[in-house]
Order: sequence, then C-alpha cells, then structure tokens
Amino acid sequence: MKRRGRGIGCMWYPIGFTVAANPSAATVKVNEDGTATLLTGTVETGQGALTVLAQIAAQALGIATDDVHVVSADTDATPMDTGAIASRTTYVTGNAVRLAAENARTILFEAAADLLRVKPGQLEAKDRKIQVKGYPQRCVDIADIAGHAQTKLGQPPIGTASWNPPTVAMDPETGQGQPFSTYVYATQIAEVDVDDETGEVEIVRIVAAHDCGTAINPMLVEGQVEGGIAMGIGYALQEEILFDDKGRQVNPNLTNYIMPTSLDVPDIDVSIVSNTDPTGPFGAKGVGEPTSVPTAAAILNAIHDAVGVRVHSLPATAEKVLAAIKAKRAAEQRQIAG
Amino acid sequence: MRPFQVYVAKDSEHAVSLLCEHAPRAVILAGGTDLLVDLKHGSKPWDVIVDISRAEDLNAITLTGEGLAIGARVTHTDIMRSPVIRESAPALIDAAHSIGAVQTRNLGTIGGNLMTCVPSMDSGPALLALDAGVTIRGPEGLRRLPLAELFVGPRKTSLAPTEILVDIVIPKHNLGKPLVFLKFGLRKGQALALVNVAAGCRLNGGKVWEPTIALGAVAPTVIRAQAAEAYLAGRAPSEQNLSETGRIAAQEAKPISDFRASADYRRDLIAVLVARALRQACAGTEIEQAEMIA
Ligand SMILES: Cc1cc2nc3c(=O)[nH]c(=O)nc-3n(C[C@H](O)[C@H](O)[C@H](O)COP(=O)(O)OP(=O)(O)OC[C@H]3O[C@@H](n4cnc5c(N)ncnc54)[C@H](O)[C@@H]3O)c2cc1C
Repeated sequence: MKRRGRGIGCMWYPIGFTVAANPSAATVKVNEDGTATLLTGTVETGQGALTVLAQIAAQALGIATDDVHVVSADTDATPMDTGAIASRTTYVTGNAVRLAAENARTILFEAAADLLRVKPGQLEAKDRKIQVKGYPQRCVDIADIAGHAQTKLGQPPIGTASWNPPTVAMDPETGQGQPFSTYVYATQIAEVDVDDETGEVEIVRIVAAHDCGTAINPMLVEGQVEGGIAMGIGYALQEEILFDDKGRQVNPNLTNYIMPTSLDVPDIDVSIVSNTDPTGPFGAKGVGEPTSVPTAAAILNAIHDAVGVRVHSLPATAEKVLAAIKAKRAAEQRQIAG
Repeated sequence: MRPFQVYVAKDSEHAVSLLCEHAPRAVILAGGTDLLVDLKHGSKPWDVIVDISRAEDLNAITLTGEGLAIGARVTHTDIMRSPVIRESAPALIDAAHSIGAVQTRNLGTIGGNLMTCVPSMDSGPALLALDAGVTIRGPEGLRRLPLAELFVGPRKTSLAPTEILVDIVIPKHNLGKPLVFLKFGLRKGQALALVNVAAGCRLNGGKVWEPTIALGAVAPTVIRAQAAEAYLAGRAPSEQNLSETGRIAAQEAKPISDFRASADYRRDLIAVLVARALRQACAGTEIEQAEMIA
C-alpha cells in the first residue's frame, strides 16, 4: 500500500569565503555606439552567470542587458577570477562588475556634466541616456557621451575594479571568527508516497522557499533551485559509487550509477523570498549549491512521516526502506508478544 | 571497434542466405540498440553485419487464423501504437512502454529484445505468460518453437548462427486474456528491471482458471512460475490465496545477489508483484464478465 508523508528540511549556506583571499576582477568598456563590453574571468557552465553579470553591468550603466557583450574565461584577455565555485559568482564577481561599471559611468558623468553644464553628482544613467536627476528631458545619449569622453576629454569610458570579501583571520586558539561574508537560507518540503511492500519512494511534490538576496534573474534562480533539487533527489534516494573488495568501482557507467531522470523529478514549486543584502551587488547573494542542501533531509523526514522509519545511510534505496519497515514491524511484534 | 562489412537483407530468406555465406562471422542487426554495444567492445568475432532493418517480411502485426503474429523487427514504439495489440494483448504495450526511453523504443525491436536474451528483458514475461511461439527461418525453411524453448541461458538462445527469428505468435485462445505486466526498477525512467512480472488468469464460477505467471530478471532466463500457477489453479482469488501464490513464486525463482539488490529483496519483490498483478488481472476479469452479462 502507498502511504503519503511530508517532511521539512531547512538550511543555511555561506557565500563569499573570507578565510583566504577570494577576489574577482572585471573591466567594463563603454563603446561609441552606446553598447558596453564586459571582461570577466569567470566561466559559464550553463548556470547563467554571464547573463546575471551582464544584467549587473547594464543596470549600473543604464543600458539594456542585450547591449552588454561579455568576453569571459580567456586567461589571455580577461581579468582574474577565483572561480565559478562556492556559489560566489553573483556575489563576488557581481560586486567587481558593478564597481567596474560604476567606474566607467563616473567617466560618462564627467563628460556629460561638461555637456549639460551640471555637476557630475546631479546625473543618473537610465534608458541609454545620462540625464539630470529630476529633469530627464535634460539628457544625452550614452553613445554620444562615450564619443565625447574619448575625443573631447581624452578619457575613454573604461572602468576596471576588483572585489575581495574582506579577509578575516580566524582566532588561532579558538578557531572562531567570521569565515564567510554572508549567508543564504532555505526551507524545502517534500511530499512522498512510500510503498510499504516494496519500500519504493515516489516523490510527489517539492516546495522550496529560498533566500538569495535580490533575485537578479528570477527565472535563473528557479532553474538553479530545480536543478539542485534534482541532485538532492539523487543524493537522497539513488546515487552511490559502489566498490568491489579490491576497491574497483562496480558501477562506473550511467546504466548502473543510478541518478534521477526527468520521470523521477516531481513538480517543484519555487518561491523566492525577497530580501536585500547591503554587501551584495544590488542586494544579491547567491543560489547555487545551497539548493541541493535541504532536499535529502526533507525527503527522509517525509519517509519517516509516511511509514515511521528512519533510514540513516544514504541513498535511502527501496531495499533499505523496506528493511527498515520490516525491522519496525518485527519490533512491534516483539512488543506485543512481550 | 573492428572493421566490418554491412549487407542489407531485403527479406528473411535473403538474410538467411547471407548468414549461410558468412557464418559464423556474420551477425544480424535489427535496431542495433544491443548489438552496437557488443560491436563497440569488440570481443566477438563478427566482421559481417546482416542488416534486417529494411527486411520486408518482418515488420507486420497481423491477426491470422492461428493468433496474433508480430514480426521480429516490429519496434517497441510500433507495439505501443498498435490498435490490434491494444485490443488483444495490452500487457505487451505496458512492457514496451517500460523499455528505455523514446529513442531506444523507436529503434529497438521485439525480436532483438528476445534474441539478446538477457534475463531482465521486458518483452519476455508477457509473451511467455501468453504461451507465445516463435517462427524461425533457417537454410531448410521455417520451423516453429515454443518461446520457452528459445531461451537457453543469459545471452544464449537455441537459434543456430544461420537462423533468424521471423515472428512471434500469440495463440488465438489467449488473445484478450486478462494479463498484467509490472516492472520494478531502481528508478522510473531508463531502468532495467530488478524484477518484472506478467501474470494473468480467467475466472470461472469464482475460481481461478488457467493462471499464468512469468518472471524476469530472477533466473538465468525469463521463466514460468509453475508451482505458483499450480497452487492457484482452481482456488478462489482471495487475498490470502494471491499472497500465497506470490510467496510460492518467490520460492521457485532463483534470483542472484549483486550490487543492485540482494536475492532476498528480489524475492520480496516477486511475491508482492505477482500478487498485485494477479489482483489487477482478476479485477479486469470481473469487469469483463460483468460486461458480458450486461
Ligand atoms: C539506453 C538503453 C536502454 C534500454 N532499456 C531496456 C529496457 O528497459 N528493457 C529491455 O528489455 N531492454 C532495454 N534495452 C535493450 C534493447 O534496447 C532491447 O533489447 C531491444 O529490444 C533490442 O532490439 P534491437 O532491434 O535494437 O536489437 P539489435 O541490437 O539489433 O540486436 C540484438 C541481438 O539480437 C540479434 N537479432 C536481432 N534481431 C534478430 C532476428 N530477427 N533474428 C535473429 N537474431 C536477431 C542480433 O544479432 C543481436 O545479437 C535498452 C538499451 C539501451 C541502449
């Protein structure tokens, strides 16, 4: 018989390690046609990092994301980046990009102040224009300003910056300190059906609420959460590297290393908890690895809710769940008998 | 991968003459979903491929006087889409649907599935439970064999290197017989069976009549659970009797322990799946009889 259960898993996860240097750098060049070129050392692996970095540069410059041409991950041409690791790209590289774009914008403001006869501090970048705050009709196209800065002021609008979450030494005696710059939080709830005769666990639905600071690109955040949950399902129920007694892996292929297929991943409801972190670019933190952290806990709690057993070694395969159900029944029988 | 020559057979006779010319270095290719894995590992002595994927006489699904004949190169997708099979042997559709994913089902054939002859094959149990026969063509012409006699062991059939499987025939009296296919894998998609089961029966005066139970992945070949069948025949389809039938089936199977599951767990699965399949088949039978009365 199938028994339904629900379980909750919660987590917090650190973003931007501070125990060692953790820098990223970026260069933003505003071109004479009003577009911008962003140079970053980070690597796109399908997570959408370059889209988010282009959005950050565009927001700082008052242009459209499509106006930003990104050159990335070429060690001959792009600035240094610590890496597309540790869920740090939006937070650390994003801060470097924001600062680099703001440095380029400072030059645009100086050139525009010259043309509009105001102080640079009175200007803002918006809708592909540099305009006077409160008087948007007093404006110049960014394309024209970029040309003016270069040919009249002799200062091409190029900004470069690096950002490093301030390194904090840990107390050598207590090991205490502040090892990370900021933290994200999440709760996931899993609903499962457990077959109490076979031990098979079917995940019916997962609801996930994640804080990532400002969601610069909500669709990418949802994608990260869904992908992380798929990995969490594999971790909870399926994935295991198995060895023989000589230490050789017996399942070194995708026929026998079981991981979830699209049929094994249920409907996932993602809700993004809005929040702003003053240390992040436009308030953003991160949403990579944290997404797969609470999934297994939620699923294992749901199994407990459904059939009253705790499985203490992952993955909770059907065979292990059935063994736990049988052990529980046997214990109950002994109690009745005794 | 070693180099090889490919000959395209226009029909089964042509394929047999090509096999005779090149045996034992020649091998049949249907959908290639199993064969290509073997070719890539290069451990077999083949250097001639006889491609039957365009053979004209092997792709029909036809009702004959004898029963339902399914050509050897009918794909799993063809089976899923066949109105005749949906009507007369729907368990075959459930079995076909459980195989691999869309790409594999589009290429893989029922003949290839039986001829690869792994114990976990998903086409085997339903056909065996329906007492299917197979037609084989060799240099001397056609011969007929019960399906059970095709299976010899893991990856071993009774076909000679110069013979080819032509079709699979489900006898007429078993068309429409309530039969349920259930498969248990380690996940929902792209999973090989840990245990698969086809079980069915008819009811006669509240008693089970002609129960058939076939099991896959729990013995060197797909097998019939004959002791379990004998136990259930003539008894009422009560919960207790169905569970006992499952238990007997689990005892007569010979599952192995490996890294996917223990033999004990596989026995547990057999008992559960056999009872479930029979329960569902009996429910289907009652509906059928109710319809006949109405
Ligand atoms: C990703 C993947 C997933 C799979 N999942 C499943 C699954 O869930 N369940 C399952 O049962 N199988 C599965 N398979 C195995 C395979 O797809 C099936 O067994 C398929 O039906 C084989 O048919 P084919 O036409 O591709 O055979 P081929 O590879 O062409 O041939 C297989 C063998 O049969 C012989 N042969 C083929 N036709 C004939 C004939 N008419 N006469 C004589 N010999 C013949 C060939 O010489 C060869 O030795 C999977 C395979 C893959 C690659």
